[in-house]
Amino acid sequence: MTPTRKTLLFAAASMTLASTACAGTANDGASAAEESPAAESPVRTGSYGDGTYSAAGSYIPPSNQTEEVDVTLTLEGNVVTSLDVQTSGNNPTSKQYQREFTSGIESQVVGKKLDELNVDKVAGSSLTSSGFNKALDAIRMEAAS
Amino acid sequence: MPDFSFEAIGTAWTVSTAAPLTVQERAALAEAVESYDRTYSRFRQDSAIAPLAAAPGTVDLPVTAAPLLSLFDTLHRLSGGAVNPLVGSSLEKLGYDAAYSFASAGPSPAPDWAASASWQALGDRTVLNTSVPVTFDIGAAGKGQLVDLVFELLHASGHRELTVDAGSDLRHSGPRPLRVALEHPYDTTRAVGVLPLHNRALCASASNRRQWGDGLHHIVDAGTGRPVETVAAAWVLADDAMTADGLATALFFTDPGTLAEEFAFDYVRMFSDGRATFSDAMAGVLFS
Repeated sequence: MTPTRKTLLFAAASMTLASTACAGTANDGASAAEESPAAESPVRTGSYGDGTYSAAGSYIPPSNQTEEVDVTLTLEGNVVTSLDVQTSGNNPTSKQYQREFTSGIESQVVGKKLDELNVDKVAGSSLTSSGFNKALDAIRMEAAS
Repeated sequence: MPDFSFEAIGTAWTVSTAAPLTVQERAALAEAVESYDRTYSRFRQDSAIAPLAAAPGTVDLPVTAAPLLSLFDTLHRLSGGAVNPLVGSSLEKLGYDAAYSFASAGPSPAPDWAASASWQALGDRTVLNTSVPVTFDIGAAGKGQLVDLVFELLHASGHRELTVDAGSDLRHSGPRPLRVALEHPYDTTRAVGVLPLHNRALCASASNRRQWGDGLHHIVDAGTGRPVETVAAAWVLADDAMTADGLATALFFTDPGTLAEEFAFDYVRMFSDGRATFSDAMAGVLFS
């Protein structure tokens, strides 16, 4: 099948762009193979024509510098076979988040109580020197008096 | 295992060995730590690097300075100047100075490492030259190197079951892996995961403990003089603690892929919004 190229335009408020692009409503009506997802279902279903889709989005992070995100993905038999995300990275902070978004394995951190874990050691920020802590205490007392 | 605990270079240490340390070993260990502090501390007037703050010049450092400075050369290059052993001046400007004034005068970039300093290994010493006044702070990898020096000293004297723990930096050898919790950077009563440490080093870097004001902490981008905001904590496993320590700091500024081009390591990196990324071998380490 010859891949067809379609353009979806959307505005995104966050960095969940890829999932938006994958599940988003194909609103250009260019292919009969595309069906509108069931509106009442939170899980979007339906079949999309094989091909390469691309979309451009933008969002405004706290830096107030608009960031552009271009997403291109290829669908074969309702499966995403390739995904490419290009980001503008105008702001260094955005660039870092975008890089993390586009590479590496990612998860959301979940904390567990240390005293419920059977461990030998804890690795975190180093406990600080008595000099550092004493000086901070002194400043706090000075500030409070 | 018997523990030997002490405080040095601003943190709490615990050395665990299968056989108790002899008096001689404790003395040798104390001397190694004191000597390191005397060489590099920016909090001491009598340290080897202290005169360089007043005027450019040449100082003799120990032979072990060569691998440390070489690591800094590489990390400085890979991080685009963010990792820099001259970051001491940036920390001082932000108020983390020898007098602990905690009075911030605003961000100030450190002198460029490659342009302002050069070094050479010469026999049993390392000669360091500077062209401008500089304030050393080798915190990025120095504690890790001291963990290695202590570890190697005790390993050489026959200890095979051995853990050196300097708070955030650990090095282990022995038949049984250690289970190590990764402390939550925003809640020290919690952990975000547990990993096994076996015949390797694990170093953590986090911005939560050494804070002295709103947004002021000790992990500072030497290129801008500003504390880093997006990365909250990084943990690195490597063969030695110096490398693991340096990489854990570098991960605050540098893409893991860039560092992986020149170093063999595993990592977990957590961001201030609660996301984390990690290398393949760390799959399953984080709680989910």
